Amino acid sequence: MFRAIVGKEILGNILSFRFVVTLALLLVVVPVATFVLTGDYLKKISDASLRQAEIETYLRSYAHFNRIGNILQAAMPPLPAESLVRGLTADINISEFDNDPLPVMFPLVDLVFVVTILMSLVALIFAYDAVSGEKEDGTLKLMLANGLARPKVILAKIVGGGLTLLVPYVMALIVGLLVILVQPGVGWAGADWAALGLITLGTVLYVMLFYALGVFVSARHQASSASIMTSLLVWVLIVLVVPSLSPYVASFLAPTPSRIQVEREAQRLGDTERDDLGRKLEAERLRELAAKYPILAEEMSEADRKRLMERDPAAREAMEARRKAVQGAWDEANRVQGEKITAVRSAAAKKDAAQTALARTISMISPLAVFTYLATDLTSTGMKNQEYFGRMRGEWGRDFWAYARKKMAELQAKDPATDWWNTAVDMSDRPRFAFKEEPLGGRVQAALPGFLLLAGYGLVFFALAYVSFLRYDVR
Amino acid sequence: MIGTIARKEILANLLSYKFYVVILLAAVLVGTSLFIMARDFKDRQADYGLIRPKPGEPIAVNPPNPLAVFAKGLDESMARSYEIGPTGITVRAGQKSGNAVFALFPTPDFLFIVRVVLSLVALLFGFDQISREKEGGTLRLMLANPASRGAVLLGKWLGNFISLAAPFLLVTGLGVAVLSLDPAIRFSPDQSLRLILILALALLYIALFLSLGMLVSALTRRASSSLVILLFAWALLVFVLPNLGTLAARQIVDVPSVRALSEKRQQIWTREILLRIRGQGDWASHVKAISAENDALEADYRLKFDRLVALSKNINRVSPVASFVYAATEIAGTGIGEEGALKKEVVRYKNRLIDRSLASPEGAGAGDPAFRYAYRPLDRVLAAGALFDIAWLAACGILFFALSYVAFVRYDVR
Repeated sequence: MFRAIVGKEILGNILSFRFVVTLALLLVVVPVATFVLTGDYLKKISDASLRQAEIETYLRSYAHFNRIGNILQAAMPPLPAESLVRGLTADINISEFDNDPLPVMFPLVDLVFVVTILMSLVALIFAYDAVSGEKEDGTLKLMLANGLARPKVILAKIVGGGLTLLVPYVMALIVGLLVILVQPGVGWAGADWAALGLITLGTVLYVMLFYALGVFVSARHQASSASIMTSLLVWVLIVLVVPSLSPYVASFLAPTPSRIQVEREAQRLGDTERDDLGRKLEAERLRELAAKYPILAEEMSEADRKRLMERDPAAREAMEARRKAVQGAWDEANRVQGEKITAVRSAAAKKDAAQTALARTISMISPLAVFTYLATDLTSTGMKNQEYFGRMRGEWGRDFWAYARKKMAELQAKDPATDWWNTAVDMSDRPRFAFKEEPLGGRVQAALPGFLLLAGYGLVFFALAYVSFLRYDVR
Repeated sequence: MIGTIARKEILANLLSYKFYVVILLAAVLVGTSLFIMARDFKDRQADYGLIRPKPGEPIAVNPPNPLAVFAKGLDESMARSYEIGPTGITVRAGQKSGNAVFALFPTPDFLFIVRVVLSLVALLFGFDQISREKEGGTLRLMLANPASRGAVLLGKWLGNFISLAAPFLLVTGLGVAVLSLDPAIRFSPDQSLRLILILALALLYIALFLSLGMLVSALTRRASSSLVILLFAWALLVFVLPNLGTLAARQIVDVPSVRALSEKRQQIWTREILLRIRGQGDWASHVKAISAENDALEADYRLKFDRLVALSKNINRVSPVASFVYAATEIAGTGIGEEGALKKEVVRYKNRLIDRSLASPEGAGAGDPAFRYAYRPLDRVLAAGALFDIAWLAACGILFFALSYVAFVRYDVR
């Protein structure tokens, strides 16, 4: 009997006008979106390789260790999953002069949008008259006049309705994937397919959840015209409003210090204040040295000093000590100020992280946010990946500077005049930043609470629908 | 006759469940949005108080715009700090860049509420105007009286528009009144005028969706199919079309990526500093070279970017929703055009400071003029495209209404 009702629901839906419209809409939107996004992804790849080539050309002429910190920056490469899920990958570049205002004004259409906005709306459009509509038609009492338990009916309705919804989605997704894969230059690895599979599982949970919500609302109303109003009201609140409000509410509850001020302070510490400290330390150490090597206190021209050094080993020793003292003073200044900068930055970063975590938690009231985090974390386009990328960048930075120190020591052993500032170095053997996506296991671990939360919300709505239907007056 | 029908519609609305749900929703959302965005504005203003340059500091910061409470647009990027030095402009972004959740979801400003929620509300008012009365059997009774179909349609439209617009204006007016009591939020007379324009634009936008609702209602036999069609049309117009156009335009117009530009700038100044250390040329000529090359980059980028924006705007305008967003943000002074004008002004300011510091190296920084950005006057904003967008919005509305008239005249009311 249960199967008969599921079958009836599926047939009823498939033959309905809304099913045709849904199918048409998804079959247009998904392929067009994937086509445009894949084109953009391919463009990003060629842009990334062009930029890399520019950097290589630059380094051939101007590679000095102390001057390339701003040139050699780790950058996130485009990922194949970007043809489906965009997440945080839009190049807004807000902390540079060249920022892109367009993605801020009009956010992108991707698979996450299709699922979170379109599919949830479709689910409600299918579910709003599941109970109240049958009541209006008079078929509900006929159905229950048979030997049928109400729990079976409501379960069959949710299962059958939810399953029919997935048909147009899966069809559109398959066409979308074909659009992606026929374009040359797109290569999907096993992990990408696995991530897509998991996102599809999340989509099933998400759509079922909204279908159960729709049935719940339907079972609370006697008239289906009132049921659609309430459904849309709830949809607007939990899908459109809650996620957008959450970061603002979090920023009021957990304020952060002025970011611009922190950055300016960090720059002042590393720039003018470091120079002041360095000069002071240098002067102190030179005064101590002057007591030991009176020759250093004498005023003489650069040429005279050179000549003196060639003649007199004692003078050479004095000059060497002086060079070491100066280097030591500036190293000390860099260390002291570097610690101060780290302290200022990490205090601010901690507050930022606390606010972000709070915003994330608040937003998870909305299934839309839960699904967004789940899908972006699974495809390495989300907040989890930003942290991961930050760690990788840090590791690469340490590798690079270890390489720089080793290289410098080698060069100085060959030629003592080599220094960090003025010597051009051949850096073609430097460690290069190569982004490797986080292994799927870690991504799944990050997404797991999202799956549980979606399933939990779904169960709650199902239970509510169940209770409401038990009490429903079917006459 | 039109008046009678309009009055009947208003009364019917006042008695319906739909009216209360929908108006309550709109009122709560408009109120919440104004409250949240006003709080956000005040926070950003306090932040501006901390970061505003002291006299003589070579820093350009534009204070946050109070109209951003209504249409945030690009105000976040326009209120960044541009610090001018011999190696170029160092830009620092504000608070929102520290929390990635801001980037994932749209800003809940008044513009968003109108664009998404009120358009939906207007459709819910319009979707069953004709089919419901047909199903109820009252349509033929009404037309049995000496009432022309045009009068019935216009009366219905007017009645519903008034029952939508009156509560909306009431709630918004209340919100604005509460805002203006706050001493931290001050609207200049010019900004008040712009605000009134934005509200008028919002009404035009609502009217457009109401007409669309009536059009589909007059084309369908049953209210439920009318609703399904309208919800899908709404999703397309509000979410899909305006957002696909931007990416599509990017594939047609070749614009350098913003990251490539930033890297190029870093390379320019680092190279010039190295050349200076190697002892080629004097400092002034290097500073000039950095500045000139950066400006050339910017000019080239602007040219291409403007072409991209023009194309993407024209594609997006397929959906009148995009026109609404463009017009409202430009009028508020938070749109793409205004942001470009501000950047141009920053570049000009940088060149003035660099010329001064090169002319008298020892007095650098002492008497630098402060940066002040004057927003483009309203007539220029309107001429630069906002007027076109308003006209397009109005034209679409009239077209939808005219089509619904045609459809209604042919409607079988039995």
